[in-house]
Amino acid sequence: MAQKGPVIHYSGHQYLRSRLVLSILSGKSLRIEKIRSDDKNPGLGDFEISLLRLLEKITNGTVVEISVTGTAISLKPGIISGGSLVHDCSLSRSIGYFLEPVILLAPFAKKPVQLTLRGITTDQNDLSADLIRTVTLPHLQLFGISDGLELRIKKRGAPPAGGGEVQFLCPIVKQVKTLNFVEPGKVKRIRGIAHAVRVNPQFSNRMIEATRSILNRYIPDIYLYSDVYKGDESGKSPGYALSLLAESTTSAIHCSEAVSEPGVAPEDIALRATRALLAEIQKGGCVDQKHQTMVLLMMVLGSEDVGRCRMGPPTTRTIQFLRDVREFFGTSFKIVPAEPSKPDSLQLTYSCYGTGYVNSNRTLA
Amino acid sequence: MEDRPHKPHRPAQSGAKAEKKEKGKGKEKSHGFNEKAFAPKSGRRADRQGRRKVEKDQTRLHVPLVNRTPDDEPPPVIVAIVGPPGVGKTTLLKSLVRRYTKQTLNEPKGPITVVSGKKRRLTFVECNNDLNSLIDIGKVADLVLLMIDGSFGFEMETFEFLNILQSHGFPKVIGVLTHLDLIKKAATLRASKKALKKRFWTEIYQGAKLFYLSGVLNGRYPDTEILNLSRFISVMKFRPLVFRNTHPYVLADRLEDLTSRELIRTTDGKCDRTVTVYGYVRGTNLRHGMKVHIPGVGDLDIKSVTQLGDPCPMPDADSEKRRKLSEKKKLLIHAPMSDVGGVVYDKDAVYINVPGSFSRGNGDVPQGEGEQMVMDLQDAGLTLDDAVAQSQIRLFGSSSRHLAIDEDANMKGAGSSEDGMSDDEEEEEDFDEEDDEEGSALGSDEELDEDEELDEDEDSGEVDMERLRADPQNTGRTKLRDVSRSLPSSSKKQREEVDFADSDSDLGGGDGDDDFGVGGRRARFGDDEDIHVPGDEEDSDTNDEDGAEWQPQSSNRSFGRRRRKDWMKLIYSTSLTPEQILTHGKDDDAMEEDGEENEDEDDFFHIKKRDDLSKDEELDKTKETIKEQHLKKWEDEDVLESIRNLFITGEDIAQGEDGAEVNENGEPYEEEGGDFEDLEVDVDDARPPSSTPADSEAIRAANLAAKKEALKKRFDEEYDDPEASKLDFYDEKKEEMARQLQLNKAEFEGVDAESRALVEGFRPGAYVRIELADVPCEMVENFDPTYPILVGGLLPAEEKFGYVQVRIKRHRWFTRTLKTNDPLIFSLGWRRFQTVPIYSLDDHSIRMRMLKYTPEHMHCYATFYGPVSLPNTGFCAFNSLSGNASGFRVTATGVVLDIDRSVKIVKKLKLTGVPFKIFKNTAFIKNMFTSALEVAKFEGANVRTVSGIRGQVKKALAKPDGAFRATFEDKVLMSDIIFLRAWYSIQPRKFYNPVTSLLLSNKSEWTGMRLTGQVRRDEGLKTPLNVNSTYKKIERPHRRFNPLVVPKKLQAELPYSSKPKLMKPQQKQTYLQKRAMVMEPEEKKAIALLQQMRALRKDQVARRKEKKEEKKQEHRRKAEKDEAKRAEKEKEKKKEHMRIAGQKSKRQADLEDGRSSKRRKT
Repeated sequence: MAQKGPVIHYSGHQYLRSRLVLSILSGKSLRIEKIRSDDKNPGLGDFEISLLRLLEKITNGTVVEISVTGTAISLKPGIISGGSLVHDCSLSRSIGYFLEPVILLAPFAKKPVQLTLRGITTDQNDLSADLIRTVTLPHLQLFGISDGLELRIKKRGAPPAGGGEVQFLCPIVKQVKTLNFVEPGKVKRIRGIAHAVRVNPQFSNRMIEATRSILNRYIPDIYLYSDVYKGDESGKSPGYALSLLAESTTSAIHCSEAVSEPGVAPEDIALRATRALLAEIQKGGCVDQKHQTMVLLMMVLGSEDVGRCRMGPPTTRTIQFLRDVREFFGTSFKIVPAEPSKPDSLQLTYSCYGTGYVNSNRTLA
Repeated sequence: MEDRPHKPHRPAQSGAKAEKKEKGKGKEKSHGFNEKAFAPKSGRRADRQGRRKVEKDQTRLHVPLVNRTPDDEPPPVIVAIVGPPGVGKTTLLKSLVRRYTKQTLNEPKGPITVVSGKKRRLTFVECNNDLNSLIDIGKVADLVLLMIDGSFGFEMETFEFLNILQSHGFPKVIGVLTHLDLIKKAATLRASKKALKKRFWTEIYQGAKLFYLSGVLNGRYPDTEILNLSRFISVMKFRPLVFRNTHPYVLADRLEDLTSRELIRTTDGKCDRTVTVYGYVRGTNLRHGMKVHIPGVGDLDIKSVTQLGDPCPMPDADSEKRRKLSEKKKLLIHAPMSDVGGVVYDKDAVYINVPGSFSRGNGDVPQGEGEQMVMDLQDAGLTLDDAVAQSQIRLFGSSSRHLAIDEDANMKGAGSSEDGMSDDEEEEEDFDEEDDEEGSALGSDEELDEDEELDEDEDSGEVDMERLRADPQNTGRTKLRDVSRSLPSSSKKQREEVDFADSDSDLGGGDGDDDFGVGGRRARFGDDEDIHVPGDEEDSDTNDEDGAEWQPQSSNRSFGRRRRKDWMKLIYSTSLTPEQILTHGKDDDAMEEDGEENEDEDDFFHIKKRDDLSKDEELDKTKETIKEQHLKKWEDEDVLESIRNLFITGEDIAQGEDGAEVNENGEPYEEEGGDFEDLEVDVDDARPPSSTPADSEAIRAANLAAKKEALKKRFDEEYDDPEASKLDFYDEKKEEMARQLQLNKAEFEGVDAESRALVEGFRPGAYVRIELADVPCEMVENFDPTYPILVGGLLPAEEKFGYVQVRIKRHRWFTRTLKTNDPLIFSLGWRRFQTVPIYSLDDHSIRMRMLKYTPEHMHCYATFYGPVSLPNTGFCAFNSLSGNASGFRVTATGVVLDIDRSVKIVKKLKLTGVPFKIFKNTAFIKNMFTSALEVAKFEGANVRTVSGIRGQVKKALAKPDGAFRATFEDKVLMSDIIFLRAWYSIQPRKFYNPVTSLLLSNKSEWTGMRLTGQVRRDEGLKTPLNVNSTYKKIERPHRRFNPLVVPKKLQAELPYSSKPKLMKPQQKQTYLQKRAMVMEPEEKKAIALLQQMRALRKDQVARRKEKKEEKKQEHRRKAEKDEAKRAEKEKEKKKEHMRIAGQKSKRQADLEDGRSSKRRKT
């Protein structure tokens, strides 16, 4: 009786998260094959399995089929139900890996999401809980998702043993607002969080010192917090990190982060983060490079109006994401240089016509 | 000529007119406008008036809604003419069409589009009385002309239709009363008008417009009345309706079958068809990859969409200057299903419809020998031989060269008696050929005429081969055709224009290309953008692309300047991996670029492959790895200084502090004067590229002035009244919407049509041709133009299926209650489908409890399986759609609340058992469960006796099976029944049956799933009788209660008051009873006398009574006689009355018979 919708095929393990998110949002079935089929350990990784479990929890009626070898999955998306959930994340990736897709899905759930995730809060590969709280969530506010949007860092957990815990609260919306953000403005303030767990608390102060040595020349409005968690709240492994964000006059946010590495002095870590921030600021645009895909997705999901956003050049993820979006939603972006007169400017204006996506999961009355 | 400015009006300085004016002025001055006249007399009154004004202002406010229909070129307004049969719908349609186009239609069928004014077009649709059509048309009509027979009154269909409208968003409704000439008496007419109006107003709203049309003249309604009606239609304003403002839809005004005839022949016509439908896009933009639903057919995939030239274009700028619509435009009509309008454009063909041709139905036109021959040939059967023979005649343009080019078109031509051509030269040739073959009497001037016309439209692919004949009707047609010829031509032509003119403004390329100023090259660039229209063949795409790309790039190299990446093209129309796109042109320029873009160069691929292999596991990570070598440069002090301008403390190179100023509208100012001119060149090629210092100076000055102006405005606002500039919520929202609409319009303004269609889809107002794949053949075979074909776009969410929870209320005019699990036909969204709902009610917010029947006068919930619709979508439901169902057919109405993939509806389940052993507060219960496992599942569950003693299930007993131990708050009796209240969850059946009425030959005869009872009735089966279900006499044995026994010991201890006081009845006779009585003789005498007297008295009374009875009898007999007489009289009277009534009704019936027969005649 149920009508078979179109199935979208992909191969390869890359960009799995964005494809899963797009599939669930658009309601189109997804089949991914050849997941690490030529690899030494073929098939889905434990963190990917964990992500699929999480997505199954947050949705109702989702059918995930994993082939025997684990090199192919097919996903028949259900509806996003939300509610209060707890998930223990795999320790091979940090919480950011799991939280990012959830952040994109949560505003369109049936009930407000209260998700508790346990695992690693900061690592090399994914956005740390700090960055998600201070940068990612403000990006959602551009689209009118603000009241009750919160990420609480209950415990920190550094790799490899983790032991961190965050709570993500997200309201539901009927429809996201159309974005029109073409004025990057100028950097007016810089904030940062230096944290150290199960190491000498002086480490964070040392990082702050090093950062200030570079950034003080630009603006006076710099506050770098030293965030020290003690005892049970500091997780199971030692580690420290520095996350920085620069906010412009039009509240465009750029961020960077560097995480402790064995054998590297905290000052060097701080310098790395600072320089990465400067590089990010130099790239310009209204949206940080790490958040391009998120902003683009929300633009696609906006009302049936033209949304515009100015960003730096796309990353590989963004490029593939744009292609995937066209498959799932049929929306193409118009991408033109933001400043046609300046030949060396790499900034681009992305504009698209929103699909008029309405949260169909929302209950009336 | 057009550019010349109009002369300004100069009032006459002298002469009669000036004098008149002067006089008027004087009068005005002397009498003047009396300010006091409208001023309130008292303060209280002023207060009241003020309050009333504010109140009225508030009622005027509505929730601001964005109107997605563009203002400049809106689609035609759909005017549906609805009413019961014989009410005069066709007559009204003909009259209105004649009013707008001065043409009389013989047989109007399908939508008819006319130009009604300078800014408005109308599409008239006549809707038949089938409920399916009513539902469909109610979902798309902008204005409904609801026709009511004034001499008869409202009919059930009218009310049903109004209820349908209500649940799907109420469009504007104008009532039209007809047949008023049948009411002869003026007083009756007035009274019935008033009554009908009152009813109409209660149905729609107080003051709804109701029109009266008197009799029919020359098969039309009187011109003045129609004129009035048309005026009302032309000033009608429409408020956007939510559902239509979120969905694209097309009311198909034409339908063609594109399936190859051969396939149809081989499959006996049973194959799935490829069908094109044509119509204006309405609602929102029709996007690519959208699924559509055709009510009555089902969900279909769009194969391709093409925008065609508008067959009924709005008056252009030229006629805009006139106050009235020009006569030429008045003749424009587009009604492909009604065979009028002359020329019809398709993607690659033009169809010319000419009456009096070889087509059928023109028996009155004299036919020459040649025509007769051709017509005979058309009669040929469908064998292959005949088909070949036929195609030889019809496919006169089938030169081999041509066939090879356009095979697709040829197939079509072979099938639908049209011919494929793509070249005017060939056309001319072909015409000659045809002439030869026909040997017909075509006049040479005719031929000339035809050729001329074909020359005019340059690239019309196909021409309908039904040729002109020299007959009087022709003259009118040729004129008409000329009108249509001025339309924008087919899309092919547009594409050509794009190639040569619009190239610079294509989406991605525009900005990148400005560096080389050679027009021809740019044109080529535009070309390759064009190719990515989904309708085109993919293979040819890539080839063309490669070819096209080569040239600009080589030119680019020769110019020796670095070119910017065209991201859109790289991302969307190449198959490069993201990494390749990023690395592409990063370090070295054009040389490598060329190599990369031409994918066929081998060494490029090798490099990348190697690169790919070198990387091992690539994680899906958000944070890019920070590369130390990239950060190295930040150690340099100069580099650090170079980005100082990106901070607020940094100096801006050109503008100083507030470079990031944003003006009032949120639009950024242009950054620098120097940029500005470049931008201009970019956007508008018409302006000469000027970079002289004087110009830039002027621009800078203008910039400065604009900035000053903004500053001044802000100051003024702040200084004068800071409150005044603040808008209230309503105005703010409206302004925001207007701004967004402006932006929507501006963003894709300069972009050529096809790239624009790619990005934003087809805008409302565009005339499109939608090619649908896999359409059931019945739709084509049973096509009837009087049934509207509606193509409704589906949102991504609406393609899915799930459990839909709705709030539902049985319609109060529907006589029966609705039962859970009875099939119901829903009209929800675009769809009409049958499904099986389960009714439920919220039970104390704890559970959803199933209801077997819908409650009376109350909303309840219903849950069914079906296609998802967004929450807050209205619907109406029916038990049957067929025309012969009696009574009111709208069963229920409601609104969608929730979508889910599972349901939580429960129904009550009562398990009963009896105790078989009772201890103090514990009892062993049996007969509730059948196994220990079941008991285990219910451990801890609450149980209760009928008398209200509560308890709990404890544990299963070993023997007998299913028995368990339970504890109670008090001792239970052996006679007690123990029960356990449980909730059993139920699932709605996954039954979804779309109403495929358009696929039937008899479209109103659709039957879905029937009820069991209906099936039995239809099949003549008896209802099986379960013996256990029959009613039997209930035997209730008398209950005997044992006497209450208080133990003796206890009795002894009780206080006296509590002691049972039980005494035996006296056994012995009393003293008095034992004694005999003896009387004295005197006493005896007295008693005897008394006895005698009593006997006498008795006798007397008896006799008196007898006498009275006799008298009464007499009286009764008399009364009876009277009664009989009266009854006789009464009977006579009644007889007389009935006789008169019978005569009256007979007369009426006769009258009605006469009228209906008359109706049928018209």
